[in-house]
Amino acid sequence: MGKNVWDMLLGFFAWCCAILLAGSMILIIGFLILKGYKAISLELIFANTSPLDALLFKQQVFGGLFPAMVGTFFLILLSMGFALPLGLASGIFLAEYAPGSIKKIFSLCFDILAGVPSIVIGLFGFSITILLHHSFNSQIFPCLLISALSLAFLVLPYIIKTTQVALESIPLLIRLTAPSLGATKLENIFLVLLPASISDITSGIVLAIGRCAEDTAVIMLTGVVAVAGIPKSIFSGFEALPFYIYYIASEYSDQSELMKGYGAAIILLLICSGLFGISHWGKNRLTAKTRFNY
Amino acid sequence: MGKKQIKIQIKDLGFYYKNQQIFENICIEFENNSITTISGPSGQGKSSFLMALNRLWESIEGAKVKGTIRMDFGKGFENIYHKNYSVTKLRQRVGMVFQVPNPLPMSIYKNIEFPLKLRGEKNKTIIAEKVEQTLIESFLWEEVKDRLFTDAGLLSGGQQQRLCIARALVLEPQVLLLDEPTSSLDEKSVQVIEDLLLKLKKKCTIILVSHHIDQVDRIADNKLVLSDRRLVQH
Amino acid sequence: MQHREHIAGIIFWGATVLSAGVTLAVLVFMVILSLPIIKNDMILEVLMGPWSPDYGLFGILPMIVGTLCIALLSLVFSFPVSLGCSIFIEIIRPGKPGRFLKKFVRLMTAVPTVIYGFVGVFLLVPHVRGFVSHGSGMCILSASLMLGLVISPTMILFFSQSFARVPKTYLNAVDALGGTQFQKFIYLLFPQAWPGILTGIILAFGRAMGDTLIALMISGNSVMLPTSPLDSARTLTAHIAMIIAADFGSIEFKTIFLCGGILYLLTSFGILLARFSAGKQN
Repeated sequence: MGKNVWDMLLGFFAWCCAILLAGSMILIIGFLILKGYKAISLELIFANTSPLDALLFKQQVFGGLFPAMVGTFFLILLSMGFALPLGLASGIFLAEYAPGSIKKIFSLCFDILAGVPSIVIGLFGFSITILLHHSFNSQIFPCLLISALSLAFLVLPYIIKTTQVALESIPLLIRLTAPSLGATKLENIFLVLLPASISDITSGIVLAIGRCAEDTAVIMLTGVVAVAGIPKSIFSGFEALPFYIYYIASEYSDQSELMKGYGAAIILLLICSGLFGISHWGKNRLTAKTRFNY
Repeated sequence: MGKKQIKIQIKDLGFYYKNQQIFENICIEFENNSITTISGPSGQGKSSFLMALNRLWESIEGAKVKGTIRMDFGKGFENIYHKNYSVTKLRQRVGMVFQVPNPLPMSIYKNIEFPLKLRGEKNKTIIAEKVEQTLIESFLWEEVKDRLFTDAGLLSGGQQQRLCIARALVLEPQVLLLDEPTSSLDEKSVQVIEDLLLKLKKKCTIILVSHHIDQVDRIADNKLVLSDRRLVQH
Repeated sequence: MQHREHIAGIIFWGATVLSAGVTLAVLVFMVILSLPIIKNDMILEVLMGPWSPDYGLFGILPMIVGTLCIALLSLVFSFPVSLGCSIFIEIIRPGKPGRFLKKFVRLMTAVPTVIYGFVGVFLLVPHVRGFVSHGSGMCILSASLMLGLVISPTMILFFSQSFARVPKTYLNAVDALGGTQFQKFIYLLFPQAWPGILTGIILAFGRAMGDTLIALMISGNSVMLPTSPLDSARTLTAHIAMIIAADFGSIEFKTIFLCGGILYLLTSFGILLARFSAGKQN
C-alpha cells in the first residue's frame, strides 16, 4: 500500500511539471496574440503605401514592417547562399570521405562552433569588418553582406551535422548497390545517396532558415539598424524583424508604436512556426515517397 | 576431355575486418562457364569472399584484403588488384546479386537502365532493347512488360530479386556473384531463379553462396565449403 | 573520370577545412583583439575588477558573475520542471499525451528568443515589480525565469532520449520482480540515464550562458556586482551588445573581445565536458 503513494507522487509531480510548462507557454503566446491581434493588418506592413507598389519596390514604405520583412528575407537568401554549399560539401566529406579519427576531430570542431554564443559569432563578424576596413577598403562598414556572412557561420554547423547524419543513416545495402553496378564514389553520392537522404537534409535546411530569420544578436553587431528602408545593396544597412521587436521593447514612444511591436512579434512567430511546420511536414511526406523496401 | 578453361585464379587470399582475421591463405581456381557453390556456417566470411572478387569491400570501412586474384576476361589473366586497374570496369564485368533484393527507388525500367547510364550509354533505342532483352532473360518480362514505368518497390520479393539479376546482367558480365539469392523467397521463385542460373551458365561463370543442400545438389558443378577459415571441396 | 573524382574529393575536403577554420578563427580573432589588454598587463584588473569607465576601471567581474548567476538560477528553475516533463513523456503517459507534449516541446524550440524577451518585458517584469514592490522588476530573477523556459526544451528532449535508451530488458526485469513505477525510476531509469541527463544539463547551462536577448532585455544591465536575485545585473553577452556602440579606440571597447573570448572558452569547455559525459552512457 505504501508503495502506491510514491507512484502517485511521481505521477503528480510529472503532471504538475507538464502543466506548468505548457501553461507558461500558452500564457506567453496567448498574451502576445491577445495584445497584438488588433495590430495585424495590411497597414501594419505597408503603412500608407499601396501593397502592390511596395512589393514591386516602386515606392518606399515608411512606418510599416515591410522593409524589415524584406531585410529578413534577403538576409536568409544571402546567408543560405554562403552556408548551403559549404555545409553540404563538408557534410558529404565527413560522411563519405573522412576516415574515423579525422571525422571525430572535425565533428568536435563543429560541435564547438555550434556551442559558441550567437553574440560572439556577431562579434567575429564585426572583427572581420574591422579587418576588411583596414586592409582593403575603408568604405566597408557593417552591412547586409557581413550580417549574412556571420549568420552563415551561425547555421553552418547545423547544416553540416544534418547532412552528415542523414547520409550516415543510409543502410549498407543501399550504399553498396550502385558501386556493385560500376558506379564511382561521386556517382553513388549524387545518384543514390543524396536523393535517398533528401528529406532529412531539406528539413535540416528549413530549420537553419528559421534560425536565420529569428536571430537578433548576430545582426545587432553586424549592420542591422532601426530604420533603413529596403536595402539598396549588399553593402548598405538594413532592417530586420527580430531587431525591430527588440528595438520597440526598449525605445517605443507611444501606444501605436507598441502595438506595431506586438504585431511584428506575432508575424515573426508565425514565420518561424510556419518554417518549423514545413520542416516536419516535409520530412514525413518525403520519407514516405522515397522509402526503400528494406 | 578437353582442357578445362580457368576463369579466376586466387592465391593466398586473406580477409580482415577491423583487424580480426576472417579467413586466410585461400587458394582456389574457378572454371569458365560453371556454377560453383559455397556453403558453410554463417558468419564465416562467405559474403566477404564474394566481395573480394569485385573489390566491393573497399567501400566498407575497416575491411582489408591480402593476396592476389587474377581473372581472364578474354585477354589473358589480369591482376584485379593492380593499382591501375579500374574498379568500375571490374564491376561491369563482375556482377553481383545480394541476399536481400535491393531495387533502387525508381521505376523498373530505370533500374535496368541505371548501369547503362553509368557506362555512358545514351542511345534510347539501344537502352530499350537491352532492358527488354535482360527482362526476358530473367523470366520477368511477361510479368512486368505492361508496367515498366511503375515503382520497382511494388514488385513481390521474387520479382524484385529477378529484377536485380536482370539489372546485374544488363552489362553482360562474364562473372556473376550471388549471395544467397533465394534465401528470402518462396518456392516458386526459387525454382525460377535456379532455372535462370542454369541457363546463364553458358554465358557466365557463376559463384553462388547457398545454404540449401538441395539447391547445391541441383545446380552446382563444383561444391565448396568455407569453414574454419578454409575453403575446401565438399 | 579518375581526375574528376580526385578534384571532387579535394573540393569536399577543402570545404570542411574552411568550415573548421571558422571555428578556430573566431577564437583567434577574439584573442588578437584582446591583446592590447593583455599586453598592458591589465588582464588581472579587467578580469577581477569592477566596471567604472569614468574612473578608468574596466573590470568585467560583475558581468562574469552576472552571467554565472543568471545561468545557474535558470538551471535551478528549469531542471526540476524539465525532469518532470521528461518523466511525463517517457514514464507516466508515454502514449498520446506523452507524444503530444514532446511535439509541443519541439515546437517551443521554434519560438525566437526575442519573443520571450519581448513578452518578458511587458508581462513578466511588471508582475515581478509588483510582487517585490521595489526596483524596476528587471533583475536576475526575471531573466532567470524566462531563460529557464528557453532552455527547458533542450533538457527535456535530452532527458527523454536518455530514458528511452535504457534497455527494455532491464525494465522487464524490474517489472518481473514486482517493482513499482517509482522504484523502477529511482533504482533503474535515473541511474542508467544519468550520463545523458548530465549531458543535457551541461548543454543547457552552455545555452543559458550564451543567451543575449533575454539578459539584455530583462536583467536590468546594472554594472554593480549583484548580491541578490532581485538585483539588476549584466551578463557578458549583454555587455558586448551594449559596449559595441562605444568609441572604437577606447579600452572600454576592447574589453568586449575579452568577454567574447571568455564566453568562447566557457562554452567550448562545456561542449568538451558534455562529450565526455555523453560517451559514458554508451
